[in-house]
Amino acid sequence: MKAMYLANYFVAGCIASSLLGWIASLHPMAFRAIAFLLAAVGIIWSIAWLLDYSLSQFLKISIQQLQALLISVLAVLIVGLGVYLCS
Amino acid sequence: MLLKLIVLSSASLTLWLAPLVGLDKKVGWHKSVQGLSLGAAIACAVSAGNIARKLADENEIDELKTRAIKADVVDEIGVSVYVSQQQRQQEAELILTSPGLDVEENRKALEAIYSNDLQDTASASEHPDYPIYLEIRKSREAGKSPTWIVENVLKMGGRKFSEGKAKLQDLLNQFEGEDND
Repeated sequence: MKAMYLANYFVAGCIASSLLGWIASLHPMAFRAIAFLLAAVGIIWSIAWLLDYSLSQFLKISIQQLQALLISVLAVLIVGLGVYLCS
Repeated sequence: MLLKLIVLSSASLTLWLAPLVGLDKKVGWHKSVQGLSLGAAIACAVSAGNIARKLADENEIDELKTRAIKADVVDEIGVSVYVSQQQRQQEAELILTSPGLDVEENRKALEAIYSNDLQDTASASEHPDYPIYLEIRKSREAGKSPTWIVENVLKMGGRKFSEGKAKLQDLLNQFEGEDND
């Protein structure tokens, strides 16, 4: 059941990133905003990888859990935007 | 609950993929439908995730309860086994340490006391002077005087009269005292 709930949240993340792609396709300004948002997410994601030890202590989770979270965020963005762009 | 979860999960996947694949992005209302569908798909996926999380928590609590009950049962069995073992050990120790010799000695002592009592009881009737005492008693009951008893029962008349009177008194003291006891 735990796998089911994780899969559902993963799918929700994928759909959310597809929605971001859809919003980006509405207007050039929206595209810029989404691009800025994605760039910010990318920077935060990279910093999180660099500061994984201190961040795991701050969030009170193990490093493995933090790394799994960061990888799943990347996978969510790739899958969601990939589905939107390829459709 | 599980059925709801499955329906919501499949609905979220359908609402996510079907409009993106089936509708044209260049058509205005198609695009609007895609946006709405993606929003609904997110709602379905989040709902399904929440339900699945709740079920997972409930399962985890049930597992914990089961583990606690099992541990409790195992603990109870262990305690009862330990207690019964201790009891058996204590009983065995009591049997081993209880003085069997004492019991035997007590039995012998009781036996000896009992046999002494019997001997004491028997000694009164088996005394050699007892038949004489019985005759004296019969004579007294018949109303005979002590002088008559000394002369006729004890056969101690004449010079032995004083000796006979003393013997009569001794016999009376001896047997009547025992009778009173």
